[in-house]
Amino acid sequence: MRSGMHRRWLRLTAIVAEREIRQRGRSRAFAVSTVVLLLVVAAGVAIPAILASHAKPQRVGVVGAPVAGMTEVVREAGHLTDTGVTVVPEPSVASAEAALRSGDLDVVLVNDTEVVVKQVSLSGSSGSGGSLPSAIAAVAGLTKLVGQLPPGATTSGVTLPVRGLTPPSASLSRRLTGLFTVVLVWILISAYGSQIAMGVGEEKSNRIVEVILASVRPLQLLVGKVTGIGVLALAQAALMVATFLGVGAAVGSSLVHGAAPGIVITGAVFLVLGYAFYCTAFAAAGSLVSRQSDVGTVILPVQIPLILAYALSYTVIYANGASTFYRVLGFLPPTAPVAMPVLYAAGDVPAWQAAVSAVLLAVGTVWMARTAATIYERSILRTGSRVRLRQVLGRAPVS
Amino acid sequence: MTVTPATAGPEVASREVSLELIGLTRRFGPVVALDGLTFSVPPGEVFGFLGPNGAGKTTTMRAIFGVVAVDGGEVRWRGQPVTEEARHRFGYMPEERGLYPGMQILDQLEYLGRLHDMTASAARAAARGWIGRLGLAGRESAKLEALSHGNQQRVQLAAALMHDPELLVLDEPFAGLDPGGVDDMTEILAERARAGVTVLFSSHQLDLVEHICEAVAIIHRGRVVAQGAVADLERGDRPRLVVRVAGAPAGEWARRLDPRIATVERVDAAGTALLALTPDADSQRVLDAARAAGAVEHFSFATRRLSEVFRDVTGEEA
Repeated sequence: MRSGMHRRWLRLTAIVAEREIRQRGRSRAFAVSTVVLLLVVAAGVAIPAILASHAKPQRVGVVGAPVAGMTEVVREAGHLTDTGVTVVPEPSVASAEAALRSGDLDVVLVNDTEVVVKQVSLSGSSGSGGSLPSAIAAVAGLTKLVGQLPPGATTSGVTLPVRGLTPPSASLSRRLTGLFTVVLVWILISAYGSQIAMGVGEEKSNRIVEVILASVRPLQLLVGKVTGIGVLALAQAALMVATFLGVGAAVGSSLVHGAAPGIVITGAVFLVLGYAFYCTAFAAAGSLVSRQSDVGTVILPVQIPLILAYALSYTVIYANGASTFYRVLGFLPPTAPVAMPVLYAAGDVPAWQAAVSAVLLAVGTVWMARTAATIYERSILRTGSRVRLRQVLGRAPVS
Repeated sequence: MTVTPATAGPEVASREVSLELIGLTRRFGPVVALDGLTFSVPPGEVFGFLGPNGAGKTTTMRAIFGVVAVDGGEVRWRGQPVTEEARHRFGYMPEERGLYPGMQILDQLEYLGRLHDMTASAARAAARGWIGRLGLAGRESAKLEALSHGNQQRVQLAAALMHDPELLVLDEPFAGLDPGGVDDMTEILAERARAGVTVLFSSHQLDLVEHICEAVAIIHRGRVVAQGAVADLERGDRPRLVVRVAGAPAGEWARRLDPRIATVERVDAAGTALLALTPDADSQRVLDAARAAGAVEHFSFATRRLSEVFRDVTGEEA
């Protein structure tokens, strides 16, 4: 008997979800947004890779003598990595480092001892001059080895050490993959969240909700709607990730090297949990309005935590080490869906902290779903002026 | 077409009952919307639900569907409290019409049918049937917003009828309909009632209600103030006479009548008197008195219109 009721409850909810998927899935807006997003992803991956293959000539400083021999080493390394090189003799290591800091030089080869760059990346394969310093180090090391062979000197390795002026950080490609994740989470939650709010607002303002609520309960309508729209959001996300990986592999983008399984899994977990956390909040916001045109006003407060976490995520991606404030955001359920994938991708938090944040977010999601369902149930049939939260969350609701 | 039967019995309470509303109460903050509202509706007839604006009609209808929770009282269907299953066999056309404007009407009706426990194929077949019946054949894939207002109303009616409901509740179904639409609606309601469906509808158009319904309930401030067969309500508890005597503009003759025979309700400017006969009194004695006063220009029985009954019990115009 009870399980029969349960099945019936689920069946009606599934019918609601199915309608959302069908109606939205075959709408022109969905097709257009999918194509545009996929094109943006493909372009975002392909264009840097294509530009990188025509890397601008690198200015390489050389310190020590003989300049001719070192120039030969640098030219050979440039040839190997398909990079144009300009050799600039520098009088001292200090002056070379100053030029490196000012951006006047990209790489410095200090005779027989080391290669200096502004910052060493962990994977050693990223961004501007990422591979050139390694090649110079290798060729110079080989040259040194060959030169040292007759005396029979011992060598500690074939390549010279590569030294960075600033401490190494998580690779830029890891960070950029983190950025991709954040943009994806942000776009999907805010785009589909506003669709939920608009859909709820539409049902309320055109009063079909009264026809539907004559046969299903408000919670069924709410759950069916956010599930149906969520399925579409995940489908679109999966297509975007597939495009990211597919195009990335095809053009040999360094971005894809950063797509370690951990980052992808973290991104997926926080995307799903983030959607779950926000979808009911957006639905509750939509249920407060009587006119669809008011939806924009009520969803802004819902979006603020996401906007905050998203805006600040750039400071994490382009800096070494996240601020304490941003680490805190990574554990607060409203901001965690955006903040935690960035922190994890940037290597600022270990996996277990991401897991703790995910658990907190899941708990927060349950709380949010209950609160939002209460708001939704109490305000969905109230017409007239906009419903105030105080009216529906008080102890004695007067709906 | 069902016409008002002149011989409908007065024993409303003893008839078979399908829908019962028992002591419903509901407050919205300081406003009392339902105040112990009680009435019942028999199956197989068209039942009118009347009341001034704000009397609680829409709240009552929403309460039947559980869309509004009541503070007290109970809605019973066939002697049992209304369950979720029972509700799925009810059809509802709310006052504020609403369907998805951008959705194709066939899909829309199929969806609503499935929400009432129909299979997808049965819902699709029923949707096609109603679309054809309501003169919308060929428009199956049109979006609702592309239809005229009257046709959107037809789709709304189809939405209520899709699953062949046992109880049909319509809030102001005639509002905004053109005369053709009114005829179609009337015919469909009568046909459903003949098929054994319990039909409850609200309306402000009392001439229509008079014409369509066998029985009505009139509510005011959340309470039932009159109910029963339309014919009984119109007859009232005392037969009434309309009499005009030439040369007696003030109707002094009528005021001299024996109050055991008749009393004056009012005399209009032309001297036409409206008299209420006492039960069992002989109307011919009134005629004799009138003739004694002058030339009788007019002498007839009056029936109250439903609108007069409405005005009497609510103190307001419909």
